[in-house]
Amino acid sequence: MKELLKQKEISILAIILLIGAVLSFVSPVFLTVGNFLDIIEGNVVLGILAIGMTLIIITSDIDVSVAAVTTAVAVSIGYLFTYLPDSWISVLLLFLIAPVIGLVMGLVNGLLVSIIEIPAIVVTLGTLNIIAGIVLYITNGNYINSTSFPTSFMEFANYELLGIPILIYLLAIVAIGTWYILKHTLIGRSVLAIGGNTQSSVRVGIDYKKVKLFVFAYMGVLAGIAAIAQTAYTKAVDPNGMLGLELTVIAAVVLGGANIHGGRGSVHGTLLGVLLLAIMQNGMILARIDTYWQNVVTGAIIVIAVSYDHISYKRSQDKLAKIEVEA
Amino acid sequence: MSDYILQMKNISKTFPGVKALDNVELEVKKGEVHALIGENGAGKSTLIKILAGIHKPDPGAKFYFEGEEAKINKPIDATLKGVSIIYQDLSLFPNLSVAENIYIGQDSNKKPWKKINWKNIKKTAERALEELEVDIDPNTTVERLSIAQQQLVEIARALAFEAKLIVMDEPTSALSSSEVEKLYKVVDKLSSRGISIIFISHKLKELFRVSDRFTVLRDGKYVGSYQTEEIDEAKLINLMVGRDVSYEKNEKEVETGEIIFQVSNFSKQGNFKDISFSLKKGEVLGITGLVGSGRTELAQAIFGVNKPDSGELKIYGNYVQIRSSADAVKKGVAYIPEARQTQGLVLEQSIINNISLPILNRMRNKLKLIDRKSEVQLAEQYIKSLDVRPALPDLPASKLSGGNQQKVVIGKWLSAQPKILIIDEPTNGIDIGAKTEIHKLLRRLANDGIGVIMISSELPEILAVSDRVLVMRHGRISGELGIKEATQEKIMSYALNSGKKDDSSDVLHESNQVSQGV
Amino acid sequence: MKLSKESILGLIALGTFLLLALIAPGFLSSNNITSMMFQLPEFGLIALAMMVVIVTGGIDLSITYIAALSGVGAALMLTNGYGILPAIIVAIFFALACGAFNGFVISKIGVSPILVTLGTMVLFEGIILAITKGNSISGFSDGYSLIGNGYYLGLVPLSIVIFVLFAIITAILLSKTSWGRSVYMYGSNETATLFSGVKNSRVLMKVYLYASLLAAISAIIMTSRYNSVKVDLGSSYLLQSVAAAVLGGTNIHGGYGKVIGTVYAVMIFQFIRNGLNLLGFHSSLVDVVIGAILILVLAMNFFSDKFKKVAETRKAEKAA
Repeated sequence: MKELLKQKEISILAIILLIGAVLSFVSPVFLTVGNFLDIIEGNVVLGILAIGMTLIIITSDIDVSVAAVTTAVAVSIGYLFTYLPDSWISVLLLFLIAPVIGLVMGLVNGLLVSIIEIPAIVVTLGTLNIIAGIVLYITNGNYINSTSFPTSFMEFANYELLGIPILIYLLAIVAIGTWYILKHTLIGRSVLAIGGNTQSSVRVGIDYKKVKLFVFAYMGVLAGIAAIAQTAYTKAVDPNGMLGLELTVIAAVVLGGANIHGGRGSVHGTLLGVLLLAIMQNGMILARIDTYWQNVVTGAIIVIAVSYDHISYKRSQDKLAKIEVEA
Repeated sequence: MSDYILQMKNISKTFPGVKALDNVELEVKKGEVHALIGENGAGKSTLIKILAGIHKPDPGAKFYFEGEEAKINKPIDATLKGVSIIYQDLSLFPNLSVAENIYIGQDSNKKPWKKINWKNIKKTAERALEELEVDIDPNTTVERLSIAQQQLVEIARALAFEAKLIVMDEPTSALSSSEVEKLYKVVDKLSSRGISIIFISHKLKELFRVSDRFTVLRDGKYVGSYQTEEIDEAKLINLMVGRDVSYEKNEKEVETGEIIFQVSNFSKQGNFKDISFSLKKGEVLGITGLVGSGRTELAQAIFGVNKPDSGELKIYGNYVQIRSSADAVKKGVAYIPEARQTQGLVLEQSIINNISLPILNRMRNKLKLIDRKSEVQLAEQYIKSLDVRPALPDLPASKLSGGNQQKVVIGKWLSAQPKILIIDEPTNGIDIGAKTEIHKLLRRLANDGIGVIMISSELPEILAVSDRVLVMRHGRISGELGIKEATQEKIMSYALNSGKKDDSSDVLHESNQVSQGV
Repeated sequence: MKLSKESILGLIALGTFLLLALIAPGFLSSNNITSMMFQLPEFGLIALAMMVVIVTGGIDLSITYIAALSGVGAALMLTNGYGILPAIIVAIFFALACGAFNGFVISKIGVSPILVTLGTMVLFEGIILAITKGNSISGFSDGYSLIGNGYYLGLVPLSIVIFVLFAIITAILLSKTSWGRSVYMYGSNETATLFSGVKNSRVLMKVYLYASLLAAISAIIMTSRYNSVKVDLGSSYLLQSVAAAVLGGTNIHGGYGKVIGTVYAVMIFQFIRNGLNLLGFHSSLVDVVIGAILILVLAMNFFSDKFKKVAETRKAEKAA
């Protein structure tokens, strides 16, 4: 465990605990189990997407199309509901179809980035425009509400196991699964390797194009799962509901200690980043801080966090004495 | 069974516009240390990259491993034949553990979902490190290791792969003298265990120390292979350059005059300490010492891009403060870095834009806009006076040869009309002809009254160009020699031992640290 | 003769114009042409701002919120009874303050622009929300509305004159001043530029200041045209401006980019948006087409580069 939580994650944890301590004084509600479950359940979508984004950022790329992809899958789910029979099999089927739809979109991003060698930010900017445009065209911006949802899905959405909402289990499964991939599979180690040094990875025979393709495809799969979670949580499909979420996702990953230049990042760090954002939001509501100030605080924390991180990085680089100077 | 672990025949490689290799061969016997020698640009790296499967040779190339013909199309093919390559810039992953770095690549032809066997990785790594008898914790991340330790991790990786042939590309270029000696021992040990080694270096003394045989390349062509003991240094140089080499001595033509530049008590933690020296008008001051003795750090501190902790500068008797490179330009100090392509030039940009960069503010007309005409004139002037070829001012700097690139960097700084010019490894990666040209140019500048400080590892160069030599060692000035008394031996003893003459056997070994050759 | 990237783009813009003139009813009507001229400047200015930042190898994700905050500044002045000039000055001041903040963190502390502006984007949005409580501020003087709706000499929309003026200023600044040159040099290789005696941090600071100035001008036009301001003023232009800069030939890694290229790209976007609209396409399909063009152009670049390389190697092999 000590090995797992290195300095960076520790400092995020410290900040979370600090905010938590303050908030528990401000509001007695904060430290209740119910509040915590609410916080986590409300951020399952952000968490799942941030986990996928972690892999992409580790390889020093970025994906700004995640929110659009998730919305596209959610909209597809909404339409599927009219065709699927009302049975638990349909819910299971959903867990097959949604990730596959996400996968296809992720693969398009991945192919353009790895094979055609267009910078990821440009590719995903393009696919963001395309996907969001198509979604808006098809839905006309209209909301699909839960009246058209099969009851089996509603049962799934409201299901609690041991008093914990099902969506939290979903996040846990994604987190553990991704952690396992990153830590214990060849492809996961390759993700870290190409992020650490692409040239070295070529020399040791890692096909970095395949790895890049993988991270974008995996992001797509997770976006598919996130779409189910979003639909279950909001009990509706809102084509505009996730506008701009991609930037919050990136913020969570960066707060969680992943390095935008690649090579660094972890699932637990990202979860801490998500938690930090979530607790701040929740805390500000509990502390009755005008909701309009919440973004000010969040934005300030992001700027301070990335600045602090950069300054401490520079310091550590300076400390690496290049030359043993004789006394 | 063949005596040879590797035979490469008919190796040619054509890049757009260049024939990098022309019908080259390389044969390495089992268990021998085989040196691969040639000047910069002779084709050593290209040959190795072909062996590694990174470059594809032109059709007709043949590879034999232990007498059997084989195909090398991608890196894994070479790996499977037992070839491990340790590149000069190493192929490590700073963010991963030592153990994983040692093991990585062994699974690269396996399924991507294959489960990692961490126990096996650790065991493999520990075994390899033990074999090397080095004490590195396999759990630490590689970024925390010194360069020498990182190199050992690479060698351990080769051992873990059960490599039969290890290629080491300039392995000693970033090591301290004691580390170099340790590396030689590792090399000896590997070869005694029957592992063949291809050792690439341009330090000739070093090659005589480690190698059994060597192959010489020149201008992409195969010159020949020889037993080490049947040849001496002079002959080797002759083979490499195709003629006898000694730099023309550039004698001082004017009497050195007043002190124009003075550095007092410059110190920076972890870089250098208590550096004081002065420079006279018309003088070329050489600064040498081992790689990592603090020369470059000192130069960059004077130039304002590496902030010193303390110290003072005087130019023409006046105290000056240089807090940035912009200050340096204003005060008349120019610095030409060693890393020409990454620090010296903006490669994608034209010769004109590079030359005028330090003095853009002086290129402006009354409207404060850049006057393109005078900019072009300026560039043409230096292209002509420095004989840059091709003489096309609009050409991106990336399209020039190393020597011509260096001339553009020099032109850039001459345009700023500096009082003091610091030039770091002025002829690194430049062919012989252009080298002498640059030496002459430095002398000419000194004659014109510019104070020239030349940093170089190449002792023949130091001796050919400087009027006075400062030797640095572990961040301090360990000796100062007038050109009349300076010899390679004396400089080396200062570079290694603060001038003490005892322990001379060590000096001989370690003198490999500073290049003796071309 | 070989055409430059920009000229090819210019031809594409012309081609798009002609094609739409043929197939889209009313595209050439004077009404339609003027309405395009009214719409183009606000986006064009943001795209130019983004381009200048991208030439340094950076990106400014906060640019549209800088514009919105600047618009809020103007709106507050106007609704509190101040004149047009003070309102414009405050708008510019608000934007420059934001730009200075970005510039400080990026150039002095050295944090990567994408991270800084990701944070400041949320921060500036928050400041706007805190000021406006999420409401829109509206009802400005008639004089002010002339900026975005009036005509110059009764002929050309005033806003397009302002845009052309700033496009020319940007072009001159980039290609003719030592700052502009340093911007390109920094974008190509910041270390070599620093080692040539350029004050990198000052260059970078001015880049973020200038980008926010352009955002302020855009904000003034937008607020004047819409006669109101809200937190999402111009926010749809954020990613589009990156797309326009890149389509206009700007290298996303820095070092290259021209005003004229970006202007052509902005025109292409405007023609398509307007033309598809006239053809009865849903407005959201415009985004689809723009996204597709962006990817197609870059994919074509990739294949033509590859083709060139293969051809060069073949030639070399033949020569050998």
